[in-house]
Parts: sequence; C-alpha cells; structure tokens
Amino acid sequence: MNERFTERDGELATASLREMAARIAPAREQAVLVDGVMAAVTDSFFSVESPLGAVYVTAGPYGVRYLTPAASEEEFARRYRERFGRFVSPAEGDEAADLAERIEAAFAGERVEVPLDLSRATPFQRRVLEVVRGIRRGEVRPYIWVAGEAGSPGASRAVGNVMANNPVPLLVPCHRVVRNDGRTGSFAFGAGEKVRLLRAEGVSPEEISGSPYVATPTTGIVCHATCRNAKRIQPHNRRAFRSVRDATDAGYRPCKVCRPVAAA
Amino acid sequence: MKTRTRRQEWTAGFDPLGARLADGDPLAPRDLVERHYRELYRYAFSVLREERAAEDAVQDAFERAFSALGRYSEERLRAMKLRPWMYRITLNVARNRLRQRREVPVEEPFVVGGGASDEDREAVMDVLAGLGKLPERQRVAVTLRYLQDMPYAEISGVTGWPEGTAKTLVRRGLMRLRMSMVEEPKGGGQG
Repeated sequence: MNERFTERDGELATASLREMAARIAPAREQAVLVDGVMAAVTDSFFSVESPLGAVYVTAGPYGVRYLTPAASEEEFARRYRERFGRFVSPAEGDEAADLAERIEAAFAGERVEVPLDLSRATPFQRRVLEVVRGIRRGEVRPYIWVAGEAGSPGASRAVGNVMANNPVPLLVPCHRVVRNDGRTGSFAFGAGEKVRLLRAEGVSPEEISGSPYVATPTTGIVCHATCRNAKRIQPHNRRAFRSVRDATDAGYRPCKVCRPVAAA
Repeated sequence: MKTRTRRQEWTAGFDPLGARLADGDPLAPRDLVERHYRELYRYAFSVLREERAAEDAVQDAFERAFSALGRYSEERLRAMKLRPWMYRITLNVARNRLRQRREVPVEEPFVVGGGASDEDREAVMDVLAGLGKLPERQRVAVTLRYLQDMPYAEISGVTGWPEGTAKTLVRRGLMRLRMSMVEEPKGGGQG
C-alpha cells in the first residue's frame, strides 16, 4: 500500500489540512472568550488617591481584597504576585469605577459602605479585621482591646501581626490601633505616617501617649481617651490614667460604650 | 510589519512577554491570552471536535498556566518559552478530556465555527475525523505541523521527541490520512 502514497498525495493531504486550519475558529467572539479567561486568571485592579498617596486596589465580585501604596502599577503587580501568586490586569467597567468612588468618599470621611472580601484571611484574622473596621475616625484603641473584642483576650501580639499584614489598610483602619501604653507604635507604611494620619483625623498622639485612659469623678467612669464620652469631659474633671487597673483601683468603672479592658 | 517582527522574536525562542510578566506589566497577561487563544482553540477543537469542549479545554489550560506562572520566580518567567509551554499544557488537557469522554460515551454533538457554511463544516469534520483515527503520536505530530503551522524544532520542544522522530511521525501520519481520504470519498455511497 505504501508504494501508492506519492509526494502528490502528501501535498493533497497537507493542502486540505492547511485550508481547514484557517476555518477552525471559536464560534463565539474571541474577545468574550478572552474576557472569560482573564476573569479567571487575573484579579482586576485600579488606583485611587488616598491619605497615603496613590494606592492600588484589587477587588473581586464580593469586594476589595487588597489595597496598598506603590510607586507604580508595575511595582504593585509584582508585589501582588509575590503575596498572592496571581497576576493583575486593569479593571474595566462601571462596577470598578463605582467602587473607586466609594473608596475615595470613605477616605474623605464620608459614611459609605465599601464591601470587603476577606475570604483569604483566617477566621481569627477576619475577626480582628472586623473589630478594627469598627474603630471610628478620630478614635484609637489599644491592641489589648482589639484582642478582647475579637474573642481572644491576651492575644495582643497576634493582633499586631494581623495589623502588620492588613490586606486593606485605611479601609480597615489599622493606623487607629495603638500600643497598650498609648504610644502610636509601628505602621506598615512608617511610624511617621501613622502619626500624620491620626493627626489628620483629629487625634492628638501626644495626649494619648502614656495616658491612654481618661476618667471623670462626675460619673465615676473610665474611658479610652478618644471615646466619644471621654471627649465631653470638662478639662477640670479630666483624670488621666496609664492603665485601666490604675483607674479601677481608684474606684472608677469601665465605660460601657468603649469597654476598656485591664491587662491580665 | 511590526507584528511580524515580534512574532519572529518569540517563535525563535526569545519571548519578551516572559520578561513583561516578570516585570509586572499589567497588560502582559491579556497579551499572552490574546496571542495564543485562537491557535490553542484550534488545537483543542481538532482533538475534541466540539466547540464548547474546546472552549472549556482552552480555559482550563490557561487557568493551569497562570496558576503556575503566578508562583514562578522572576528569573524563571524571563527565561520561559511561553508558546511551546502553553502547547504542552493544552495537549495534556485535551488528551485527558478525550480519554474521559471515551470512558463515558456521549452522543456526538460535533459542531464547527460560527461563520462556516454547512459544506465547510462537513469538510472540516471529515478531515478531523480522519485525524482522529490516527495513532496518537502521529495525530499530534500532523496536527502541530500542519494545523498549527509549527516548525519541527518547536514540535520537538513541545513534545520532547527528537526532530527526526517528529518528521517520521508526520510522514506516516500524512500517509495514513491520505489513504483514509482516498478510501472514503466524500459524499459517496448515499444516493
């Protein structure tokens, strides 16, 4: 049989193969298919202005996953891949634009809902991030308080680690979490930036440092120094305390709004 | 002209897209997908002969590829020959899916590309059916050489076969293919 196969036969076969190749194409528009691949293999990102300068944001269908300052898109993309093992691509469409607007409004102090996707965090990390998310602008809380509120009293150090790796700084305001003695402490983007951010929110780091708790004899209550109740205390009634224990030893009871906790 | 120069660069082995992925160029991932989607689809379709199955296979291949690329070091990305590497993944995905299908026989909803006329479809499906009857290595070799227009050096890079082996497999495959086309003339025997 092989003798019957000639060069001419080979040419015929290859010609029909080549001709056919040109005809095989996806039935659906290729752009749609490429978009489908992109949605699965990359996380889309955009940048917004923030109190930390330009920050880059990635968001999935459930909300913001990651936010960080970076010098350029490229630097952001490299860091993102290092951290998550995934690539990024520029976000398109109204949803991203809408989210970017919300984020900028939140940075400006407006009360807008910015959905967060914390599904990549462990349950403990998520609890800590949710607690910190609730700390209002103009207020600060110590690590020990965050640990207690997250259901793990005494886990101050672990809270510090969660703060250091916070995937969504500013949106989860880890700069509002301070050392147990009231000093502002470290910040992933620089201790000086933390002080600057807090001042811009109306917090005076000097006042809190060393005396993070304030009590008043008129009510007999001790608060975090930035608790909204503490701010109403008349200057002549202000009693500053270094720790909750010192205050309770002096006969004060903890505020039910800001729930200060004594160190173990 | 510019496109042609770039194509020559990456088919010759040096692939600037690897460096762009390493450098964090945010447009690089889409460029990789756009550059290879159609040819990988064509390969997957030639094996699976069904649109949806081909789309799924290509999607799966890209997902596997990016999941690996995401974990590679920058040095490794820079040194990558992305095209043969993408082909290796697609070949595996398509072959595995074909095997799964044979284990669980389904009806054959063979369909081909949107704009094609019925006659075109039939002609394409005839040739693909012929290809499908070849022994696997011959089918892969002929498909890569003529459907995908791949030079022997690159076929060797994709499959790991020496170039001489690839040439032999292509020659034998073509021979068989031609035989099947002669023995089963189109449109015959129905009237």
